[in-house]
Amino acid sequence: MDINYQIPRSALIWVLVSVVIVLIPQTIRMPIWVTVIAAICILWRLLISQGKLNYPGRKIRIVVVLFTLIFSISQIRSIGIGLDSAVSLLALGFVFKLIEMRYKRDIYVVLSLCFVMSMVSFLYSQGIVTSAYIAMTVIIILCAMIACNRSSLILEAESTVKLAMKITFQALPLTIVLFMLFPRIAPLWAVPTQNNASGTGVSDEMSPGDISQLVRTSGLAFRVQFEEEVSLPNELLYWRGLVLDDYDGETWRRSRSRSAYGNAAAFGNFRFNWEGRMETNGIPLRYNVIMEPTQQPWIYGLHLAEPISSGIFLSRNFEMFNNGLISQRLSYDVASYIENQTDLFLTSSPRRNNIEIPAQGNERSLQFARELRAAVDTDREYALAVLNYFATNQYFYTLNPGLLGENRIDDFLFNTMEGFCEHYASAFAYLMRAVDIPARVVVGYQGAEYNPFENYMMVYQYNAHAWNEVWLEGEGWVRFDPTGAVSPTRIELGAEAALRDDPAFLDDFLFTAMRLGGMGWINTLRLRFDALEYEWNRRVVNYNEEVQFELLEELIGDVTESKAVLFLLIATALVMLGVGVAVIRVDRSAQRDPVVNLYVSIGKELEKIDLPRKRGEGPLHYRDRVIAERPELAEIMSELTELYVQLSYRSRTVDNLQRNQTRQLKAMLNQLRFKLSPLAKISGKV
Amino acid sequence: MAFSIRASWRENYKQWLAARIPAQNRSTLHRRNIYILPTANGMMYLFAAGLVFVAAINYAVSLAFGLAFLMVSVFILAILHTFNNLNQLILLGKFSPAVYCEEQAAFKVELSRLPAKKHEAIELSFEQGLVTHADLIDQDRVVVDVFVKADRRGEFRAPFLRITTYFPLGLCRAWSFVDLDMYCLVYPKPVVFSMNQFNTGSSGNDDSAIIKDGSEDYYGLREYVPGDSLRQVAWKNLARGQSMHVKQLVDYVDSKIWLDWDMFYGFSTEERLSRLCYCVLKLSKSNNAFGLKLPGVEIAPDTGPDHKIKLLRTLALFGG
Repeated sequence: MDINYQIPRSALIWVLVSVVIVLIPQTIRMPIWVTVIAAICILWRLLISQGKLNYPGRKIRIVVVLFTLIFSISQIRSIGIGLDSAVSLLALGFVFKLIEMRYKRDIYVVLSLCFVMSMVSFLYSQGIVTSAYIAMTVIIILCAMIACNRSSLILEAESTVKLAMKITFQALPLTIVLFMLFPRIAPLWAVPTQNNASGTGVSDEMSPGDISQLVRTSGLAFRVQFEEEVSLPNELLYWRGLVLDDYDGETWRRSRSRSAYGNAAAFGNFRFNWEGRMETNGIPLRYNVIMEPTQQPWIYGLHLAEPISSGIFLSRNFEMFNNGLISQRLSYDVASYIENQTDLFLTSSPRRNNIEIPAQGNERSLQFARELRAAVDTDREYALAVLNYFATNQYFYTLNPGLLGENRIDDFLFNTMEGFCEHYASAFAYLMRAVDIPARVVVGYQGAEYNPFENYMMVYQYNAHAWNEVWLEGEGWVRFDPTGAVSPTRIELGAEAALRDDPAFLDDFLFTAMRLGGMGWINTLRLRFDALEYEWNRRVVNYNEEVQFELLEELIGDVTESKAVLFLLIATALVMLGVGVAVIRVDRSAQRDPVVNLYVSIGKELEKIDLPRKRGEGPLHYRDRVIAERPELAEIMSELTELYVQLSYRSRTVDNLQRNQTRQLKAMLNQLRFKLSPLAKISGKV
Repeated sequence: MAFSIRASWRENYKQWLAARIPAQNRSTLHRRNIYILPTANGMMYLFAAGLVFVAAINYAVSLAFGLAFLMVSVFILAILHTFNNLNQLILLGKFSPAVYCEEQAAFKVELSRLPAKKHEAIELSFEQGLVTHADLIDQDRVVVDVFVKADRRGEFRAPFLRITTYFPLGLCRAWSFVDLDMYCLVYPKPVVFSMNQFNTGSSGNDDSAIIKDGSEDYYGLREYVPGDSLRQVAWKNLARGQSMHVKQLVDYVDSKIWLDWDMFYGFSTEERLSRLCYCVLKLSKSNNAFGLKLPGVEIAPDTGPDHKIKLLRTLALFGG
């Protein structure tokens, strides 16, 4: 009985492989020494199985427990009770269990933990690659389970892997039904999704150099799909993020403090009566955005966006905020009134905010602005004149501009004359405010890459951009983009085209596919993969209560609780019945001997020349009849029949000779086919 | 108290099983006689699936839901596969060799399969017996010994044979009970004793010929003991200067030995049978013919393996 509880060697290898596979994605999030300890434990267990080391003694176990205790306390003190510390702790407990794993029961503890650990990966990413990896992990864990239960004499891994894959695939239909129909429950308690990652993407502060830093990265920011087929030119694709209206001479900031974003209560402030400040009489563009996690609350949309999805709020500057930090991919629907205007009348307080500049410094710029304003009649003409000034003078658009001195605006406008979008936006807004025209900086993304395979747009971090909005009498806030004046390519063809030759562009990712954009098939492959990822996100990752409700409504009409449950039960029962029958059914055709199958197909071949085997006709009789009719087949028929008769009376166990004979029979069947093909044609003609 | 309830419950369960399981030499396992329940490991696995599910709810992670559902589906598949691993397995009770009481009786069971089926990691056992493992992957049939301690002399009926499997995932345990109607002859347990205690001959020789295994015309010498017949003194040896020896011959003993029930007067039935069994085994190694006298049974002296088995059989079945 005892042998039953021991761990077979082959099973142990599978268990260790599972543990390694499960831990690999976590290593980037765990402190390095946790990874080192994990590796030591795995190695230790391997050496135990080879008899080179012993199971840990009592002392070591006490040390381990104390160590883990101290570790968890220090983790909680340094980074708080977050997901990352929990993952490290789980990983530690998990590998410690490994070294004292003696019995099958312990294996199942470890393997169950493997499942929980692999789930953790989904908390960080639900992409297609992660999902495929987890699917592979599940198969490997199943392999370990199978190896645990099968005779230790079966050493080759192939059949184990096959069986594990078979079980996984057979489990898929039921999984899909449960996934689609099992009622999704709202979170039981609020979990702090603080995973210590700093925010990515556009930030709520803009100092010179911030955006050019972002542009060097190739990560995806979000994907957009329009409801109707619209082809917006690149120069209209201004994905508005935040409005920065507070300038201190160096940095542009949002006037709200940052701490308020994550706090859902603060969004009360955003709910104000903005209907009076915008017109919504145009035809809106409706689109869906799937945003990559940023750990920030703000989201992006085209001009004058009105959120459709719940949980999204509009701020007084028509920025959009999600209720909570975006730590998972977020999908939201928006309607944008791109032609409509906002704030036709500007009250005194926002006007005051938007013309404020530091009292001192940048004298030359002030002087320049006043002179230029005096030369034209209207504010609009003045703004255009500034753009024209940028366009006609030797300004350069570059990722690596020269350093700026104390008077940043002066230095930039009249000395270095090179900069990235943030320099231009900053200088432009300053020049407006210098002559009391309300102006502000908007940060977000500009441009997109179109993916023809699934008909959506991809916006990358290198599309990050800063531009301006200027308030003009009778027009409200109007978008101006000084970068466009300096480098029209950036706006019309996108950052890739404008910065292609800039050595700093994407230099962190020397071998990214972007770089190879020129190579057709790689680009196609990249777009295809992204299309797949997009579909995956839209259909699988974003499958939630709402989508489920819509689906149910489509399937069963009025959704009531009992109806939905009944539907789930019926669907589950049907699928289980199908799978059950498939698994348990005794396959009758496979039940037949392969040799008999071969002989049957010989009869079928001969049917082509009107000599089918009669029901119940013995092989020897059949041979004689065929030879009598077709003497030219005498040789092959006698050989065939001889072989078949030999094989029919063999013992049930298969040996090499029989295998050879079966192969021979197969070869003869092919030979017969070959011989018959001209004959069949002739008889067909006759 | 608790124990007695448990015992009586056990008794009831056995009776229920006995009523359910027909005694037949050949049994095929199918859905009516296969039982299946999750193992402790399976419960642990489901607990892990529950954890994943709760995490999926709390973090609102769609694919974690997917993983939880996949785990549950795999569990259901495990039930099906484990069941399928026993389904349609054919068991055939074979002839089982006789054993001595309190030895492990080896019941030979033949397992066979339908051509399209495979059965792996099958465990066969009798209640409180050893577990025998069997695989039916490449072979169509396999014969295994399933052991159980033979605790009674006579015709020993095999208890219910339990066929268990955890394959493939170990999350569930499927089992079945069959009664293959197998019997095994259990000889009395041989009890070793010194045969000097009794004489089979009438020669007055206090040494027993029975102990002297070997050739029929045994020939040897032993020290002279006063009272020995002078006719048997080995004079030639004496003449050579050796001490006085007596020639010892087996042939003079009546070569037809009778093993008699009454030789063990004062012993209980089983003790007598055990000793007789020992005698039979001992004597069958010599070429002496010997017979057996039991109350109501008398088997004429003879030699050879068949005779031995006949005697053992008689002993085994005596009184039963």
